[in-house]
Amino acid sequence: MTTIPSNLWSIPLIVAIPLLAAIVVNALYDKRAIRYISIISALLTLGISIISPYGYHWFTGHPAFDPTTFTFTFDPGIPGFRLSLEFFFGPMQQIMIVISSLILVFCVIMATSGLTKHQGPYLAMIFLLFASAAIIIMVNDLYHLWIAVEIGSLIVVGVVVGSGTSISHKAALKYAYFSAICGSGLAIALALLLGITGFPNVSDVVRVINIFGVGGMETILYISFGFFILSWMYAGGLAPLHPLKSEVYGASYPHATAVLQAQSKLMLVAIGIIMLRIFGTLPFVKEVMIFLSIITMMLGVVIALLQIDFRWIIAYLIISHSGLVTLGIALGTKEGIIGGIFQAVNDIIYMSVLLFCCEALYYFGGATSTRGSFGIAKKSPWLCAAVLLGAFAASGIPPFNGFQSEIILIQASINAGFPEIAVIILMVSVTTLIALLRAIYRIFLKPPENEVAANAQIPKSITIGTWLFIILTIIIGVYPDIALRFIVPFVEGGFLP
Amino acid sequence: MMELSSSFIAMGYIMVIAITVGAIAALLQKDLIRAAFLSGAESIALAFFFQALLAPDLGLTQAIVGTVLLPGIIILGIFKTRRTEED
Amino acid sequence: MIEVTIQLLGFIAAALLLIIGIAGMVFLDNIIKKIIAFTLLSDGVNILLVAIGYIEGGVVPILLPGMSTVEFTTHAALVFPVGIVLTNIVIGVSTTAILVALAIMLYRRYGTLKASVVLKGERR
Repeated sequence: MTTIPSNLWSIPLIVAIPLLAAIVVNALYDKRAIRYISIISALLTLGISIISPYGYHWFTGHPAFDPTTFTFTFDPGIPGFRLSLEFFFGPMQQIMIVISSLILVFCVIMATSGLTKHQGPYLAMIFLLFASAAIIIMVNDLYHLWIAVEIGSLIVVGVVVGSGTSISHKAALKYAYFSAICGSGLAIALALLLGITGFPNVSDVVRVINIFGVGGMETILYISFGFFILSWMYAGGLAPLHPLKSEVYGASYPHATAVLQAQSKLMLVAIGIIMLRIFGTLPFVKEVMIFLSIITMMLGVVIALLQIDFRWIIAYLIISHSGLVTLGIALGTKEGIIGGIFQAVNDIIYMSVLLFCCEALYYFGGATSTRGSFGIAKKSPWLCAAVLLGAFAASGIPPFNGFQSEIILIQASINAGFPEIAVIILMVSVTTLIALLRAIYRIFLKPPENEVAANAQIPKSITIGTWLFIILTIIIGVYPDIALRFIVPFVEGGFLP
Repeated sequence: MMELSSSFIAMGYIMVIAITVGAIAALLQKDLIRAAFLSGAESIALAFFFQALLAPDLGLTQAIVGTVLLPGIIILGIFKTRRTEED
Repeated sequence: MIEVTIQLLGFIAAALLLIIGIAGMVFLDNIIKKIIAFTLLSDGVNILLVAIGYIEGGVVPILLPGMSTVEFTTHAALVFPVGIVLTNIVIGVSTTAILVALAIMLYRRYGTLKASVVLKGERR
């Protein structure tokens, strides 16, 4: 915390270990070798992200330029022009990457214990997905931002195809088309920012815009902002483009959806904060972002009420809760940004609980439809308890973590002068509870009419993962400072040291 | 020096026209293989344009990728599916 | 009257390619045609990026013998867009390959390349 070294050793490893694991796993055929190598590399990533110190990594090795003394320096403490592509690993990045790699560990274990046929390439895709998420949360230059968004969306396509149904192929083709259009849009936005300021580094761009102004180029800045919003919408699944991302969530395996939703929440946080830093001083920018978030929250939760399949209910709830994350960032106040990032952390955790329970339902013969009643509570009471606790966490009931972040968001929106938004947040959490409890009652509690597999054995990994994440929700819900002490310094310190 | 830049601009006009005509012609073909080849022709004009815009290395890359690799992938897809566009 | 430079021509070509590419991706029905339109769109982005890095009366950003550093830094075109465009060409190729693979998979299932038939909603 005290020293901030440049060219930190751990940042390349966090990105490179998943990449190497993807390459190795893709070339293997032996199932046990694939299992061990992937679990070891996921655990290695988790360990490195836990023990790593905080600091920068500067690509291309260019030093920073100090404009006051006209000298070059490698000391990141001096607020000079950085001139290079850089990654920053700080407390906020640490908690995000730790939680996503925890999900990666369980996702890898679940993926290798059945369900999929072509395990090597599928696991490679999951590792690349994690790598793109890790890049996007650490990134501080436009070039790597764009690459992470492009690669991330291509990999999403690959993961969705991995589940192998016709719905997933269609969802993949649609998502690939839109990623082609929106990725090009992000490249144009980057080109326009580069043309206005001449720097690829986000800190430099912000400094140039704040110090020298944009010199009558506000129109071009707004066009660039529009393309940024477009890529934000499709990378995170915000309102007008939400069918793309919700089909992606619903059509892939639940364990893959756990990593997918973690990745898209990391994208929302990272791109949102970069947008806030670059365009936050322009008029109408925050209003547009708030409008998008409100539409996303309400549409997602209303469509979730209409669904008849547990997987698709969760898919639309993920969309709706992404709106909560972006709302906090869009408010632009310190309290709001803290609430938004905290909501992202909590959201990743409790949605993973629900998704792991959904994965367990596959071992009861795929009983995820709310049309039939299967009476699974009698066969597996612990699974029923887990999914109920997950539903309570998702709808913000006090002892769980969803409550803590939603209360911060409600306070932030009231302090920012939007008491209406607080009402909408309450409505979203109540509707979430209704949608989830309806499905849980039909699937788990109603007396059985349909036959399901009698002695289904849920793998131990799913049980352990579910209960670990439930314990996490309760711990963070009772002691929110455990997560907040990572997030608050990031926001209070102006995002970067 | 003056001669050189004016000849560059004349080349630029020709390239803009070639790119536009190639792109529109590629999208209007009924025969998909012909469309793929026409998009390759558009890529050659684009490669010359990169040369004029002081990026000769990109010109080389674009010439190889745009004329061989991309039409190759698309033609592979056409052979696996069907050659003409349905009504 | 605006003086016509090669940079302006680059912007014009970029705008034309972007419009043609977007229109092709949105309005054409054949999936392979949509993919060809995407390659045009990606070309448009590339030429926009390179045209932003262009400097009037500049030199190619390669340090040749006999060229002083000051002369090089004041006259060379921007290098950074070249890096982005190289990446974009590679990403364009991989996106095209993925799209073609998905098109083949969907053709095997539905027997047609019409996007209006293939991408129609399905009861789940």
